[in-house]
Amino acid sequence: MNPLILDKVTKQYGQHTAVNQISFEVTRGEIFGLLGANGAGKTTTMRMVLGLIYPDGGQIWWKGKPYSHDLNRVMGYLPEERGLYPKVKVSDQILYLAQLRGMDRAAAERSLRSWLERFEVPQYYDKKVEELSKGNQQKIQFIAAVIHNPEILVLDEAFSGLDPVNVELLKSAVKELRDAGAAIVFSTHRMEHVEELCQNICILHKSNTVLKGNLREIKKSFPKERVILQTERDIGGLESIAGVVSVTRREHDYEIRISEADAAQRILRHAMEQSAVQRFELLEPTMNEIFIKTVGGRAE
Amino acid sequence: MNDLMTVIRFTVANKMRSKSFKVTLVIFVLILTVMAHIPFFIQLFSSDETAKYGIFQREDNVTERLVQFVNGADHVSFELVVYPDPGTAEEQDRVIRQAIEKDEVKGFLQLSDAAEEGAFPAVTYKAENTMDFGGLSELQNVLTNIKTELVLEDLNLSEQHRQQLFAPIQFETVQISVGGGMEKSESQMFLAYGMVYLLMIMLFMAIMFTGQLIATEITTEKSSRIMEILVTSVAPIKQMFGKIIGMLIVGLSQILVLAAAAVANLLLPHNREAIDALNINFMDIDPLLLIYFIVFYLTGYFLYATLYAAVGSIVSRTEDLGQAVMPITFLALAAFYIGIFGLSQPTSPFIVAMSYVPFFSPLIMFLRIGMTQPHWWEIALSIAILLASIFAFGWLSAKIYRTGVLMYGKRPSFKELRKAMKAFKV
Repeated sequence: MNPLILDKVTKQYGQHTAVNQISFEVTRGEIFGLLGANGAGKTTTMRMVLGLIYPDGGQIWWKGKPYSHDLNRVMGYLPEERGLYPKVKVSDQILYLAQLRGMDRAAAERSLRSWLERFEVPQYYDKKVEELSKGNQQKIQFIAAVIHNPEILVLDEAFSGLDPVNVELLKSAVKELRDAGAAIVFSTHRMEHVEELCQNICILHKSNTVLKGNLREIKKSFPKERVILQTERDIGGLESIAGVVSVTRREHDYEIRISEADAAQRILRHAMEQSAVQRFELLEPTMNEIFIKTVGGRAE
Repeated sequence: MNDLMTVIRFTVANKMRSKSFKVTLVIFVLILTVMAHIPFFIQLFSSDETAKYGIFQREDNVTERLVQFVNGADHVSFELVVYPDPGTAEEQDRVIRQAIEKDEVKGFLQLSDAAEEGAFPAVTYKAENTMDFGGLSELQNVLTNIKTELVLEDLNLSEQHRQQLFAPIQFETVQISVGGGMEKSESQMFLAYGMVYLLMIMLFMAIMFTGQLIATEITTEKSSRIMEILVTSVAPIKQMFGKIIGMLIVGLSQILVLAAAAVANLLLPHNREAIDALNINFMDIDPLLLIYFIVFYLTGYFLYATLYAAVGSIVSRTEDLGQAVMPITFLALAAFYIGIFGLSQPTSPFIVAMSYVPFFSPLIMFLRIGMTQPHWWEIALSIAILLASIFAFGWLSAKIYRTGVLMYGKRPSFKELRKAMKAFKV
């Protein structure tokens, strides 16, 4: 049985449906990508997963059982907005939260020190949260979410506000937790993170699920609409080939958008007639393109 | 239970470690120390010189008797200085102004002939400060005495009659109990009065400050979103009561420090005399009354604290909090004023009725116990109602806390709250 199963879960706020019939499962050792534009219902879904709010319809199963308070021992949560006491020392509040989640103080302290060491900020142990920079607060927030080794982990915009070096630091920590067997629900607006981390995704748009499934298969199901062409000499007349939507001349190559698969072959033939081809690549759509296509196309 | 202890420890440690807590405590102790010394300072700065009043030499026996009476008696706290009469009114005025200006006298008594023959002369008091009521009433008393004596002389009363006339009335107050309870001595009544007053002030302060603090903390936790993490970590009812109990411990330790400071101050030799003069024996405190004091302090605190917690969890932003806690503040104020009224009318039907109303009963029932002897069943009923309402409001507040903390944006309507409460299995 998967650690987390949502079955046709619905949440309404008054007349407004915040989440409509969402269903997905997260397996052990998986990072599940929960995507969607702002206000699509991601945070509401996550709150229901956490047991913070109660669904109006559908079922959620945690480790095969309905919600109970013991679950707080096995769940971890990193909220999108900072959720820490600004005026309390890092060690005090992390140890407090760890104890509330059933850790004993000594173990929590060891764990906190090793996490701070790992994030290269051991000196923050005795600092107040308000004295830290936004990025470093995010590291502390992350530690607060994972210090008790949760089996089900909910990360809402885990990498926001971090510089690239720190993003890598946290990303590797997330991967490690995944490899240790955690079921992770992950939301982000950065599609390259989704491509790197997630096997399965679910895109929400205006409370509805618009795309769901395995990332590879989703990518395969979308037509390949981008061609990279690198030749020895300049090529003329690319725009006039049937099926070509646009041609962008870049420093060393062309990026060509096409509307049908056959156009790619026509481009290759056309190029070979004029010059030697050094590189020809038919690209899968990026997650970014898929997202914009799915969500942006319905925005009106 | 373990979680509850964790929450209590965290709340207490955080509050006590905070700079503001320590600073306020030090300031309170300083204020208390200064206040305790005020009588001593007044005594220190006030000069030992007796007040002097001027009077003109006059050819009637009133002036003569007055000077004799005042300057010959030790129980009169002022002296009279006799000035020769310069004659005209203008001259008299000049002399008076001069005497006051040179600080020879504090004020001047001007006697003028009475309208009727043989009546007591009219007296005018002239001074810079005419608001010295203590001194003025003593002056009037002395003048009345002289007048009485003069009249008595005309009557030719026997010495025995004179003594009977001037002998003070034997007047004593004895508190009796019709309910069969223990009757109280005057010192006990005095102490009970003091304890009722103390409870009123302590409870009121605890409600206003600690309650407000609880509400603020919850709203802050809510607006800083740490609430989301807390609610997923620990059962809300434990979180709420952990906070309330933690704050109670903080408040009590504050009171302990203040009480220690007060006792230390009172034990200083120069303050000791003042207490001895009041003729209060602290050993007269009824131990049962002390137990009731603790019972009503705790029940009152918990009842109001749960309300504040509920309000704190409905409001999302600290700016809105002041308005939202207003009704509770009014309740506490009402209890305080009913208590003040009850101190002088502890047996009135209104006070008896109010001693069963949960929000007022901690003060009013204790007041009745202290000042009168209510039947045991009255006390039991009042405490039972109080406990039942703490339970009811605690339960309701925990529900509001659980649901309210997760509603952001506008304040939820009652309908929304009720609906949300139904959905949660708390």
